Amino acid sequence: MKNITDSFLCFVYWPSAGSFGFDTDILATNLINLSVVLGVLIFFGKGVLSDLLDNRKQRILRTIRNSEELREAAIEQLETARARLRKVETEADRFRVNGYSEIERDKLNLINSIYTTLEQFENYKNETIHFEQQRAINQVQQRVLQQALQGALGTLNSCLNNELHLRTISANIGMFGAMKEKKN
Amino acid sequence: MNVLLCYINTLNRFFDISAVEVGQHFYWQIGDFEVHAQVLITSWVVIAILLISTILVVRNPQTIPTSGQNFFEYVLEFIRDVSKTQIGEEYGPWVPFIGTLFLFIFVSNWSGALLPWKIIKLPHGELAAPTNDINTTVALALLTSVAYFYAGISKKGLAYFGKYIQPTPILLPINILEDFTKPLSLSFRLFGNILADELVVVVLVSLVPLVVPIPVMFLGLFTSGIQALIFATLAAAYIGESMEGHH
Repeated sequence: MKNITDSFLCFVYWPSAGSFGFDTDILATNLINLSVVLGVLIFFGKGVLSDLLDNRKQRILRTIRNSEELREAAIEQLETARARLRKVETEADRFRVNGYSEIERDKLNLINSIYTTLEQFENYKNETIHFEQQRAINQVQQRVLQQALQGALGTLNSCLNNELHLRTISANIGMFGAMKEKKN
Repeated sequence: MNVLLCYINTLNRFFDISAVEVGQHFYWQIGDFEVHAQVLITSWVVIAILLISTILVVRNPQTIPTSGQNFFEYVLEFIRDVSKTQIGEEYGPWVPFIGTLFLFIFVSNWSGALLPWKIIKLPHGELAAPTNDINTTVALALLTSVAYFYAGISKKGLAYFGKYIQPTPILLPINILEDFTKPLSLSFRLFGNILADELVVVVLVSLVPLVVPIPVMFLGLFTSGIQALIFATLAAAYIGESMEGHH
């Protein structure tokens, strides 16, 4: 009996200095308390932590989804903008072609109209020259006639004496008379 | 005779249970230096935990994070937040440093509070959190000092030393003293908190082995987390302070 207690006590005793080893004394190593603390920590900490992480994950998911939606919307907008750009470009091309042809036509029209105007002006010029010539000729004729008449009047005034005057008058009377008879 | 011997043994054993060992170290001889091996071992374990978990989780990153990746991203966001609020706009290059400090101290503290280190028996001394050795905390605090000097000098050049006479030249001694008190307070705060916490737990366990230490252990968990956060925050604040310009 003494031997048994002896060996029991001696078995429990562990040399405090020496080499590496394992301490099997549950109380001294504080195993029970540690496991309780660890258990409580895991039990409560798990809920809190998983809540926290779930929230974070949800937030990330939401952010990703939002940005995905934004991206899709942006892509859509880009597509519509591209389509519009393409449409506008073709339209612009058409307008450009149309415009060129129109300008060309306008130019031709303008040249033609100017040409006709020019011809008209040419005609006017010719007519004006002709007219001016005619007028000059008329003036010269009038001048000449006037001078001839004045000459004749002068000659008449200087040369007319009584007898000649009477003869002329009688001749004129005769002529008028003949004219009157002819009228009647 | 035999009975007497066993009595002495039993007494020894009870004495061992109730004895609280402080300042007992397991020494390794490296060159001329004696290093505290138990700190190195636990540090390696902490580093291994950090590296392996990170590598496992970040090995295959997804756009929509899986649970592990989600947790690590959350931690990273937290560290970035801390460094951003303390350092300011140019916090980017300092996130790794602050994050390393925070994660190492946090995992060290919690490993000391949660892992059953005492199962493994050393020839001398016992395994505990790396941060309950003053050498670890002093090393971390000196790293912080170097970091904030580097930050200030790389940002402002020699004009950085103008801050010593900043409000008035009278404050020069105090400003110089501050460079010594910063790492001192950092290291002693962390060391004291962790050591005191573990001592309280050990003493309580030696008095009442069950149930009673549990609240204190929870308090210890809380304190260790807070201490890690405080260390990281203060380191970031010092770096930010030395980088901000007094124009």
